[in-house]
Amino acid sequence: MNVQVVTCNHHTADLTVREQLAFPSEEVLLRAYAALRARFPASEHVLVSTCNRIELYTAQEESVSAPTQLDVARFLSEFHNVPLDAFFNDLLERTGADAVRHLFEVAASVDSMVLGESQIVSQVKEAYDLARRGNANGPLTNALFQRALAVSARVRAETRLSEGRVSIASVAVGDFGRSIFEHFRDKCVLVIGAGEMAEETLRYLQGEGIGRIVVCNRSRERGEKLALAFQGEFRPWEQLDMQLADADVIVSTTGASEPIVSAERFRFARAKTGEKPVFILDLGAPRDFASDVASLDDGVFLYNIDDLEATCERNRKARAAEVERAERIIEDETARFLQELHHKATGPIIQRLRAHWHDISRDELEQLFRKLPDLAPEQRAAIERSIERIVNKLLHPPLETLRAESKEGTPHGLLDAIRRLFHLGE
Amino acid sequence: MFPAPLAFEWDNVTVACFLSSYLVALGFEAAQLLKQHSASHWLALGMAVAGLTAQSIYLIVRSRAAGMPPLLSSTHDWLLVLAWLIVLLYVFVELLDRRVALGLFVMPIVLILVGLSRFVSADPNPNLVRLRGLGMFHASVLVLGMVGVLTSFLMSVMYLLQHRRLKTRRGETEGLRLLSLAKLSRINWWGIVLAVPLLTLGMATGVWLSYLSASTDSPVGLLRWQFVVSGIVWLTMGALFLWLLTGRAHSGRIVAWRTMCACGFLLVTLLLLQLASGGVHGTG
Repeated sequence: MNVQVVTCNHHTADLTVREQLAFPSEEVLLRAYAALRARFPASEHVLVSTCNRIELYTAQEESVSAPTQLDVARFLSEFHNVPLDAFFNDLLERTGADAVRHLFEVAASVDSMVLGESQIVSQVKEAYDLARRGNANGPLTNALFQRALAVSARVRAETRLSEGRVSIASVAVGDFGRSIFEHFRDKCVLVIGAGEMAEETLRYLQGEGIGRIVVCNRSRERGEKLALAFQGEFRPWEQLDMQLADADVIVSTTGASEPIVSAERFRFARAKTGEKPVFILDLGAPRDFASDVASLDDGVFLYNIDDLEATCERNRKARAAEVERAERIIEDETARFLQELHHKATGPIIQRLRAHWHDISRDELEQLFRKLPDLAPEQRAAIERSIERIVNKLLHPPLETLRAESKEGTPHGLLDAIRRLFHLGE
Repeated sequence: MFPAPLAFEWDNVTVACFLSSYLVALGFEAAQLLKQHSASHWLALGMAVAGLTAQSIYLIVRSRAAGMPPLLSSTHDWLLVLAWLIVLLYVFVELLDRRVALGLFVMPIVLILVGLSRFVSADPNPNLVRLRGLGMFHASVLVLGMVGVLTSFLMSVMYLLQHRRLKTRRGETEGLRLLSLAKLSRINWWGIVLAVPLLTLGMATGVWLSYLSASTDSPVGLLRWQFVVSGIVWLTMGALFLWLLTGRAHSGRIVAWRTMCACGFLLVTLLLLQLASGGVHGTG
């Protein structure tokens, strides 16, 4: 099996690069899968696109048909219409065990900006489900992603990685929001967008005792549903400017492909409120607020995903012991997964070898029973059990050797030798 | 025979005792910038409390020796009372919220006040001795007004640092946790709103004391240069006060800048004045 991942994430690239390569909606992702199937027909694909990472996992039986980093970069360049040299150096390729380990780290939130955040699990699951809907997955990626979700659950159960500040909202509010406002009891939060990120942020802010919640979303149905879930109010998209002026905290999480709030628009919205402090958390990738909104006046405090990096790094250092425990689990699971996968490749040969020897033993037993027709049924059964034990004992050493060799990869040489020694055919 | 109990000589407590305590407290506070540890915090607080105790003993001893309350004893004592009140506020706030890095801002001011007290007159003011009641009121409102000014100055410095951190999107520095902008702004506003009337009252009682001193052996004229400079500084604070009251929509950063400049100007001028004249009332 050959697994590769080409990744552009918060470790390798700035948000300005990531937002150009992002796949912000299901529709865009399904188009991307169609393009990938046409371009790399021998591979299975899963695209993971979040605010912090754009990763393409590919897997195929034969290594010769595996797309290279350059192939993937060209695909991204053509799909997003972005020059190759604008991002090529921000891509990173991992193959084989490294790729498997990377996915396990991503799913277990060890590679996340906010260590231990839970949202990544559902993002990985959604990415895998969407690949299935886009007919881009296959047996290899199925096994890989299902195991990744299981590893994520194990890490959460066996470590304390998911304790403390484990959401982007908690980090942003903890480090910046609480440094602006004393409390949130009399504050109005405006949530632009109604996706999972918006929901998670609202859940956190509700815990902080936020005074009033307003949801503004293009889709009325989703917006109203979210507002209802948090006892908030829904406002139609056309009223966004009015809500921008009233809000003390703005959380934006839309999947828009370009900024929805320009400096000019925000200046106009703030004209009647003066320079009252407003805490803006732009969690969109691509960003929802133009970067020059931050310099409009002294009261505007605008933060995007990348601005939380330093805090998250501090958080990571403080929980180094838990990270170490999680990494040990991931290392163990990676080795086990690869061994199982490689061992699975030896399955057909083992089955043929086992069937071949059992056929021989059955033939010999039939000849023996023809020569000894007076044997009692219990005597025949005892002889059959003895022969069965002999065959199993003879099979045991080669099967154990195959299992041991599978730790290092598919034992092609050994399989070939068994095939030739026992005339098992191709 | 039992040994005689060890007698503590209160007279042995000197300015150097509490000055060094505050210096060590500042050192422990600064150490938290390198590595935040609760031990450093408690040691800093412990040293501040030790310094405060020593300073209280020192002021009591001097007050008894002069036969007057510390505020009236001398400019030296007046400065020490001011420093004492600031340390008391610091200890109180630190006990309420030990995560705030207040000591890094308060202790340097305290050290300056205590250090400066060594260079000003330690002799009782003869006029205030004669007009004890009014003199006590005059000195009290001035010292409380100065506490307000110092508080506003510190809050505005902290506000500007916090605002800059938030605008430049930097995470909190370890050991340098500041209050929220909203709280800093509120305390700053109240500091000015309380300080200016107190200072005004202090100035007014000063003028009244000057008038009353005309009939005594040592009259104090209002046209002495120390009083003129103090008047100018008071006018600056008054202007800031009016500006704050008339325009509530000012940006927090602008308010902090102006407060820092006005209060800083007042503090530096008054402290230099003390230094140059040996005390605002001086010797002539």
